[in-house]
Amino acid sequence: MQMQRLLLSTYFLFSPERRTANMAASGGRTVGSFLWKCGNCCFNFNTVSSNLTRQVLSRQLCVSAVLHRKNLAAAGPEKFSEEFIKKQVEEFNIGKRHLANMMGEDPETFTQGDINRSIAYLFPSGLFDKKAKPLMKHPDEDTFTKALAVEKHQDRLRGKDLFTQDAKQISLVGSRWLLKEELEELLVETISEHDYARFIQLMERLLSLPYCSVEEDFVQRYRRQLEIQSSKQQVQPLQYDQHGVAYSTGDGRRKTATGTVLLRDSGSGSISINGTNYVHYFPVLQDREQLMFPLHFMGVLGRFDMQCSVSGGGHSSQAGALRLAISRAMLSFLSEGQVETMRQAGLLTPDPRIKERKKPGQEGARRKFTWKKR
Amino acid sequence: MAASLTGLLKPWTPRVLLVRWSRYNPYYLEPEPRKEVYHIPETELTPEQKEERELKSVRPIKAATNSVTSSVFNDPVLSKFVNMMMKDGDKIIAKGIITQTLENMKRKQVEKYHKAPEGKKAETECNPYAIFHQALENCKPVIGLASIQKGGKFYQVPIPLTDDRRRFLAMKWMITECRDNKHRRTLMYEKLSQELLAAFSKEGNVVKRKHELHKMAESNRAYAHYRWW
Repeated sequence: MQMQRLLLSTYFLFSPERRTANMAASGGRTVGSFLWKCGNCCFNFNTVSSNLTRQVLSRQLCVSAVLHRKNLAAAGPEKFSEEFIKKQVEEFNIGKRHLANMMGEDPETFTQGDINRSIAYLFPSGLFDKKAKPLMKHPDEDTFTKALAVEKHQDRLRGKDLFTQDAKQISLVGSRWLLKEELEELLVETISEHDYARFIQLMERLLSLPYCSVEEDFVQRYRRQLEIQSSKQQVQPLQYDQHGVAYSTGDGRRKTATGTVLLRDSGSGSISINGTNYVHYFPVLQDREQLMFPLHFMGVLGRFDMQCSVSGGGHSSQAGALRLAISRAMLSFLSEGQVETMRQAGLLTPDPRIKERKKPGQEGARRKFTWKKR
Repeated sequence: MAASLTGLLKPWTPRVLLVRWSRYNPYYLEPEPRKEVYHIPETELTPEQKEERELKSVRPIKAATNSVTSSVFNDPVLSKFVNMMMKDGDKIIAKGIITQTLENMKRKQVEKYHKAPEGKKAETECNPYAIFHQALENCKPVIGLASIQKGGKFYQVPIPLTDDRRRFLAMKWMITECRDNKHRRTLMYEKLSQELLAAFSKEGNVVKRKHELHKMAESNRAYAHYRWW
């Protein structure tokens, strides 16, 4: 029910007759319509009891119930149109009056608080969850009025000639829409995929209005903050050896190569890989550039002393593995902001690309067998 | 909910295997390896850049590829050219050819610089990277042709080209020209440096090919309305 409320509220934002009709979604449908039917029956029992009229009324009741059932079956699922909403509001109001009558209160001054108390009295519920208890609310409340408020604000500004296209926008960058499961949990009802997609579509339309920042709270209720990625990096604490020189280790993998690095803050800038000098181990310039990349990016080219060991893979993947190992080892020497810049430069993500598997019926991963006409 | 988000951060194979897919989830963003981008102070950023930074702080980033570094010599256009020249995955040879080409161009230009009279000395461009970029610009076609079938016949229809397509065509023409139309004894880097210098001064076969394409497009102007996109 609440899902339908949401859908309707945002949908009817854009319909032209929104001002005229006192539209609402089916909020207190269950209890309100029950009370209305109850009141109907009470009313019928209290009328002048002429046999004929009673028969007529009862016959009418029977007939009308049968017709109602037949009509429902023929028309298909109930459509949420304006008439439906008007009907719901009428039902709610009549139900409210009957409830007031039942409680012996004055129907004119029956407030929402009184309704809540009466419902709690008449339908005592042993359930703990508030959302599971029966409720009776005016359908207009707390969804559609938000969208109306935006429109009213805009019109007021237009009237005062202060309407500008570039008003303060709601910041959406660090957050995401609720997932379908989260929305189901919030509204305590199951939602179909189609409904969820429609909900997102309508919220996006609401956001497309220039002055949507008026209803920022309503929108933020359906958004979740995304966590900052750099907080997920595990930074090892700095270690000190017997001479007081700071050092740290790091390891990295790329394709099938694994490499480990011991980074020492000694200030000489020498690099030895598997016991040999890096110039001899990596004769290709590109590999040496990859080793230098994290150091050059942070501007600490001559500061560290590196002892690397690497095995597996080819020369490029070994260089990539060592690059990741060096970046990870360097994290202990850097501040938070620098860690974030390294992450955004792509130095801290392990490269997931691997050799694509060969498929049956093909010669390789992509290459097909030679096509023969016959 | 949390499970589906951590699922986005793992190495990924799409449910339906497309022809062009990568091991990264589409949720990942491209890395920015250049140093100077991160040294711009907060005040000088435009609102779009600020938003982009905020977005980058919550999204995972792809790893930088092998051919990319933060050094000043790292040129994305040149890397693309090296990859296009590469045969059978032998990048060492391709990179070697390009380095020799650039050196050769520099030598020729410096020779020309010293031989030039005083007034013309400042005009001779000696930076091989600048020459390469300008030559490529001069080779890029502005308009292209597409083969469109209408009424049983195929017509060559002039169509606009995207920037990537133009750059690709310029590089492709350059490489095919240097591979095909050279004397048996000339080495690749020699021929390539000759062609690049010629293209820099808007002469040579590649620029001629570009002009021919433009003329064809001009002559087929009548069929331009066959294009529906």
